[in-house]
Amino acid sequence: MSDGMHPAIVSGQPSQSDENNPDAPLFEGEYKDRFDKILSRYPDKRAALLPVLSMAQELRGWLSPETIGRVAELLDLTSAYARSVASFYTMYQLHPVGKYLIQVCTGIGCDLCGAEGVVEGLLEATKTRIGETSEDGKYTIVEVECLGGCGFPAMVQVNDKIYENVQAKDVEGLLKELD
Amino acid sequence: MAYPYAHPREVRVLSKYFGDKDAIGIDGWIERGGYTALKGVFEKSPDEVIEVVKESGLRGRGGAGFPAGLKWSFMPKDGDRPNYLACNADESEPGTFKDREIMRWTPHQLIEGIIICSYAIRASHAYIYIRGEFVDVVRVLNGAVVEAYERGYLGENIQGSGFNLDLTVHLGAGAYIAGEETGLLNSLEGRRAEPRIKPPFPAQQGAFGMPTTVNNVETLAAVPHIMENGADWYRQWGTEKSPGTKLFSCCGHLQRPGNYEVPLDFSLKELVFDLCGGPPEGRQLKALIPGGSSVPIMTLDEIDCDCTYEGIEAAGSFLGSGGLIAMDDSTCIVHAVRKMVEFYAHESCGQCTNCREGTSWLAKILRRIERGDGREEDLPLLLDVGSNMVGKTICPLSDSAAVPVVSSIQKFEDEYLAHIRDGSCTAAR
Amino acid sequence: MNDENKLVELTIDGAKVSVPVGTTILHAAERVGIVIPRYCYHPGLSAPAVCRMCLVEVEGAPKPLPSCVQTVQDGMVVTTDNADARKARKAAVEFLLVNHPLDCPICDAAGQCELQDYAFETGQLRTRNVEPKVVLGRDHLTSDIVYFADRCILCTRCVRFMDEVAGDALIEVMNRGSRGYIDTMTGELFEHPFSMNIVDVCPVGALVNEDFLFKARSWDLDRTASVCPGCTQGCNVSLGTKENRILRAKPRHNAEVNSYWMCDHGRQSVVNWGAGDRLEVPMVREDGALKPADWTRALESLASGLESGPGGARALVSAGASNESLYALHKLMDQVGFEGGGFRVETGPEEVLAGFPTLTLREERAANVNGAQALGFKRTDDPFAVADHAGALFVLEEDLEDAPEDFGAKARLFVYIGNRLSAAARNAHLALPSPTFAEMDGTFTNYEGRVQRFSQALRAPGLARPIWMTGSVVLSRMGAGSELRTAAEAFAALASEYDAFDGMSYEKLGLQGAKIAGAGTAATAS
Repeated sequence: MSDGMHPAIVSGQPSQSDENNPDAPLFEGEYKDRFDKILSRYPDKRAALLPVLSMAQELRGWLSPETIGRVAELLDLTSAYARSVASFYTMYQLHPVGKYLIQVCTGIGCDLCGAEGVVEGLLEATKTRIGETSEDGKYTIVEVECLGGCGFPAMVQVNDKIYENVQAKDVEGLLKELD
Repeated sequence: MAYPYAHPREVRVLSKYFGDKDAIGIDGWIERGGYTALKGVFEKSPDEVIEVVKESGLRGRGGAGFPAGLKWSFMPKDGDRPNYLACNADESEPGTFKDREIMRWTPHQLIEGIIICSYAIRASHAYIYIRGEFVDVVRVLNGAVVEAYERGYLGENIQGSGFNLDLTVHLGAGAYIAGEETGLLNSLEGRRAEPRIKPPFPAQQGAFGMPTTVNNVETLAAVPHIMENGADWYRQWGTEKSPGTKLFSCCGHLQRPGNYEVPLDFSLKELVFDLCGGPPEGRQLKALIPGGSSVPIMTLDEIDCDCTYEGIEAAGSFLGSGGLIAMDDSTCIVHAVRKMVEFYAHESCGQCTNCREGTSWLAKILRRIERGDGREEDLPLLLDVGSNMVGKTICPLSDSAAVPVVSSIQKFEDEYLAHIRDGSCTAAR
Repeated sequence: MNDENKLVELTIDGAKVSVPVGTTILHAAERVGIVIPRYCYHPGLSAPAVCRMCLVEVEGAPKPLPSCVQTVQDGMVVTTDNADARKARKAAVEFLLVNHPLDCPICDAAGQCELQDYAFETGQLRTRNVEPKVVLGRDHLTSDIVYFADRCILCTRCVRFMDEVAGDALIEVMNRGSRGYIDTMTGELFEHPFSMNIVDVCPVGALVNEDFLFKARSWDLDRTASVCPGCTQGCNVSLGTKENRILRAKPRHNAEVNSYWMCDHGRQSVVNWGAGDRLEVPMVREDGALKPADWTRALESLASGLESGPGGARALVSAGASNESLYALHKLMDQVGFEGGGFRVETGPEEVLAGFPTLTLREERAANVNGAQALGFKRTDDPFAVADHAGALFVLEEDLEDAPEDFGAKARLFVYIGNRLSAAARNAHLALPSPTFAEMDGTFTNYEGRVQRFSQALRAPGLARPIWMTGSVVLSRMGAGSELRTAAEAFAALASEYDAFDGMSYEKLGLQGAKIAGAGTAATAS
């Protein structure tokens, strides 16, 4: 096996990493290596679009028009096409978000079990409204549809981490953990 | 979860090692009997493998229940073009979280199933299309895939069999409709996850225009057990039409939510009241959705049936993905249905007119009724709009949105009327 | 037996029809006169089957099928018009109107809108929808095309045109579900030489050409079958005219020339073609200046010019003049001895339509280069050299805007036949007003030698008459042919004298045109 990540698992994660940097280059070093490996796993370049957009978001925190345009260029696609695909998938952030993107599942499973209280608690604690970034740039709270853990309500995703069984009473502790 | 609520009445085939951290890594998995089915598989011809799966009667666990062996047999055998396997790990049907646990606790169980299926359908590259939201599960799965490569279960000449297989973990990025098999294929190809018109079916023209089988995680995870123990062994559970065991994801108002694996002919009522412990203390169960939010809602007096595909259908709903959502008497049905319909409105890809416009229209009407601005004529309107959304679109998402609306109005009309006439909710909050 | 030739028999609404294997139900229905409503289907594009308007009932099928993609099978029994099918269509229209602004009174597409048509046909008097509508607004997609997102029904015809036909996916559906809309890359306008076709394929008023916006209601337009004069391609077009002005050109289907498409250059060049200060009456030189005359006087003057005087005839003609006019001019020149005629051709960059490369905006930006050549005229890079001539000089439909001041001064007879009286044209002894291509019937011969008819769309100004008509009066008196009253007669005379056009007639040319004998060679500079 060559150095770096195994080519089978090089896809980017469509969530920002805690260390994201909006000005990070696309792509250099280990990310360039991953980019090349992604291309090697598909019969055409178009198929690399999601893994590469995800990697760009992992790295830069959100997908600016410039980021999308650059990815399109790397994959020989039109930038309108790449934008269309990026805008289809809700995990792609087309606007900047806070250092911590806190996604609370309010799908039916979590809704039945107190997700609304979690959202309210988070908004109150961070003094924000849904989708807005807190003044200190730290938090963006959004509601998302079903995170696929209905048996562990409420599901909360913070950047690339999952929290299960979150209730309103847990909000304070959760935010502390992030600090 | 089956952990920490493992129940003695479960039959744990797929979920036997849920909660056992040592089963996640490849050594622990091999110690527990993992990858032993492969030897026998490679001694058989691909067609013989398909025959065993056909005989087992294993049905697709993603929701449609299509016989897995039959699906595999549609794949071309001439090898002129590459065949692909796409494992559908885009589990997104609200109420369903079984595939997540299979991959989280027993990733090698899935990988072994993928190897066997790929061998049978003559695929040399398989993709696991996994939800982007499964961030922690992806880490586990990624680790397992690398292990499998390192130990010669993936790559060239697997275990000296001469069979080559590459496996790639492909992450989605937030689209329920990517769980529909042709939406998945488009997404895998780097497109919007818009479902395709069938025909052509994936076995003729799937990923990258090549013959492709799309199978759910749970379906593939059952395959090693069937190959190791035989079709008859698998058929000791369930019925002629619904053989084997199945994982039920149970959520909502239950004492012990989680995943429970039972033979398919297990009593639905006992699953809810015995294994899951029924509703929380002091509450009455009011409604049940047995197969993910897209199947008809059931009232308490309808759930006295078994869990087979045919049993639940006879009782007026569908097994679907096995995602069971329990609602007790504190639930406002109008609110719950509104949440479900909003989900489909949010997730509609927007290609087909009826779905794009219908889902959001239904959601708006329901929102208005819920806040007390409903009109008497809204109920017939909801029913008619719903009927215009059923069977009219490329994929079944449109139907899925209409189903909870129509079935809940039929079964809980009084709750709707209370909102409309009195602006009040009859739920015992 | 070849599979493609095999016929399948099916029943549609009780009518039996036999069609080749692979035909869609939608096409089979057209054979028996049944037009199944559709939005997303366009014959020049792939069929995504998303609008769900064309659903039909097929006996034995569990649910209604999209007739635009469903192919026929032997013995199929199709119903397009029972209660269920009607309810399904009504539902599709109702869904499309849920978020539609219903702003027909100010919509450019009103009167030519398929949504409006079917809403009238299937719709109910009142809407059942009382919910607030999604409001998205409008934006430019190109500098000339405005997108009204709220009117859009997301049929994706425009997206498919750009991707499949233009070969450049410059616009796409953004977002998803009922929040979807069409757009370019964020903050960009797109540019493409065939961009305006997206306006044509739009079945509603979502995409409009700003040049045409608010200029006319669709029902106030007259439409005339014509041929684009913009280059040698010869795209078949329909001219939309109002109050004797050309307001727009839209492509007219011709499978062998332009399919359903045309380029932006052609469209733009044709708008207001011929408008402005025109030569409207014949003028005859008297006492050193051109004076208005009637045709009797003008033709007498022409006849006497042809009958007397030394030297042969030379000409500068426009490569945009019709075959009939060029023929007539040549014949007039023959009376004094044809010594040659030239034409110049404006050129521009070639633009190929990737998905239908037969259609190309050709380098030579004039409609009848091949016709002029076939009728004995030659391309020249030195157009005004022709004036260095003491005999008879003819100019046909060349404006002479850039000609030397003394152009034609040496000629004993200078006949100017054209649309405008430029300074050089004023040197003529005789100026005869002629109609533009849009003001008369005629034919052009395109780059591949296809002779195609165009029809009169506008009234010619004043006394302007085609030279084949006026010239024939002179010629008949000189015993060279009979008087020609129609373009068809002129073309018939032409065809009887030129081998390349042998056997052709207006009737035979019909809507598709026909190729001249030995066609295929492109015009080159001599």
